[in-house]
Amino acid sequence: MTIRWTGRTARLATGLLLLPAALWSQGIPADLAEERASFSQWLATDPVSPRNAIARREVDTGLLLGPDSGDIPLPGVPEQRVTERDGRVLLQGPDGERVLPRGRPTSLAAFTLLADGAPGRTVLTVFQARGGGKAAFYPYNPSLVFEGTLAPAYPATKQRVLGVDGIEADAVEAGTVSVPVGGGSARLRVLRVRTPGTDESELTIFFRDGSNSAGTYPAGRFVELVPIGAGRYRLDFNRARNPYCAYNSVYPCPAPWRGNTIAAPVRAGEQYLGGGLDAPGAGGDGR
Amino acid sequence: MKLWPALLALLIAGAPPSPAGSWRAALVLAGGDLPFGLRIEQSGDGWRGELCNGRRCNPFSSVRVAGDSVTLELADYAATIRARLTPDSLTGVYQNVGNRGPRTIPFRAGRGRWPVTPAPQRLLGSWDATYFSDFGDSPRVFELRNGSAGLEGTIISNTGDYGHFAGQVRGDSFALAHFDGSFVYLLTGALHGDTLRGVFHAGLRSQTPWIAVRSTGTRHLKAPTEVTRADTTQPFRFAFRDLDGRLVTERDPRFRGKVVMVDVFGTWCPTCHDAAPDLVRLYRKYHARGLEIVGLAYEVSGDTAVDARLVRRYRDKFAIPFPLLLAGINDTEAAAATLPQLQGFTSFPTTIFLGRDGRVRLVHAGYLGPATGAQHGKQIEAFEREVERLLDDAKVGAGS
Repeated sequence: MTIRWTGRTARLATGLLLLPAALWSQGIPADLAEERASFSQWLATDPVSPRNAIARREVDTGLLLGPDSGDIPLPGVPEQRVTERDGRVLLQGPDGERVLPRGRPTSLAAFTLLADGAPGRTVLTVFQARGGGKAAFYPYNPSLVFEGTLAPAYPATKQRVLGVDGIEADAVEAGTVSVPVGGGSARLRVLRVRTPGTDESELTIFFRDGSNSAGTYPAGRFVELVPIGAGRYRLDFNRARNPYCAYNSVYPCPAPWRGNTIAAPVRAGEQYLGGGLDAPGAGGDGR
Repeated sequence: MKLWPALLALLIAGAPPSPAGSWRAALVLAGGDLPFGLRIEQSGDGWRGELCNGRRCNPFSSVRVAGDSVTLELADYAATIRARLTPDSLTGVYQNVGNRGPRTIPFRAGRGRWPVTPAPQRLLGSWDATYFSDFGDSPRVFELRNGSAGLEGTIISNTGDYGHFAGQVRGDSFALAHFDGSFVYLLTGALHGDTLRGVFHAGLRSQTPWIAVRSTGTRHLKAPTEVTRADTTQPFRFAFRDLDGRLVTERDPRFRGKVVMVDVFGTWCPTCHDAAPDLVRLYRKYHARGLEIVGLAYEVSGDTAVDARLVRRYRDKFAIPFPLLLAGINDTEAAAATLPQLQGFTSFPTTIFLGRDGRVRLVHAGYLGPATGAQHGKQIEAFEREVERLLDDAKVGAGS
């Protein structure tokens, strides 16, 4: 089944009154400008920005923090042990035992610890403030905003995928969209990925394109498919963003999703400024 | 002299508009607008404002106005609304910052209040709903009623209610919203025959379809007393510091031989705010007969000074006469770790009823607040019945 997607610019002629002024003027929508500015600021300054990560390990049977011979050496920190018991992540050190709440930063001397992921698959990330660069984006390109329908997946198989932050999340195959980019039509798989600890989930696409290694991150980028009512969805490549492994090689990169490669360059969304994990160029497919 | 009127007109035309007044605000979610109200007014040299769901309003922690720029802040949730002001509109974004970076949702507002739209009788009452998610189906109960601001109500899950929802009705369709700076919930639906169908929107993009049928009285949700289990073989133990730094335990003389309610709460938890006045009333009614209550606070920062300040404000707001202890941070796992005699702790608030021997008699997860209408009254009656039962049991025990 071929799904016809239309560029939003094509809709402008018939839907002027329904569109916000920012779009009508073909300028960047205000919320996207704000989103980019605040994300960039967060990336450069927040204690748990991926740029500040110095180590990341699965807790598994336990981790030793501190000594040079430990799993994660932390200068100036006396020996600490991180374990997972009955789903709880515990930090044991000279001052006793305390819980590391999942998804909540905890200070340890000059470092910040963050336990994340599902019980039994907990990952510990250690951060140290060192500052970092902001994010960079291509200029807004309204011709890379598409609206159309989603061809549902049968069966909707469940799986686990690495999210943007390198944490494994539950996902369900949601379907496919076909997008007319660069003169051809690219068919992209869409997964519904659950946001841990919330009532929320996202229709997510991890894709590679012809700009990878030539302006964008070699391993690919994430973008969300946004439901806009009446069974239709919006795909805005201006909102494409890097996985955390693009900022810091501490994070694992998601394997490219089978088939999700666009031959043409998609010069929209977040750019790659170096500093992350080296990855092969676009072309090969993973799972 | 003729120059003055022209100069005055020029000055007026050039002056930035005032944000003072009521605003019909909305977050622009992918699946539709989430309506809420704003009120902004001048306060001395500065400004103050409130965020309202129907008639329920909460103050912003700060309101800043600079030229045509308006910033509304909710510090408790690291949340901000930033907007550009024209005489008739506010346009901008809502943002809050989590560990995965900032979340940005478009925001807009026009002058005035949302119209009050009562719902037809056929929409009102209790509805047993089922959410259909790719990850599995789950039960909810909707309580819908007409209030002073039109259609209002709440959503109840196995672990309590989602707070107060208020919204708009058109014919047999409705949109009910709850936005408090952190939670972004929109329930849209319509009546088809005797069935309600709709979508629950959480955050900017998440949408979960649901179907609901009128409640028949048979239990649709898990009973709140079956969510969390407790070790009943030993007295329930706790040892935390109060707001003055003193260690308080279950062995203190004030609890010995008393019926005790342990309120596991957080000042960040709206449902806990709903429960607090009811607990104060219970305490005042039954204290002389032997009831004690102790609140265990699980707070946002983990910093004792900051948390103590938050809990003092909470204590003063509700004139709470019983002790409140700083027990930990607001994470169900972390809280569970400090209360090892509980199994399956999932909900703030959780109320633990102890008999005079100190053992757990009942654990009640969640609380059905005023947003749940008649169920709120039943909740209070159930708590009173349990306290009466334990006080009477204690009398029998003391006499035997």
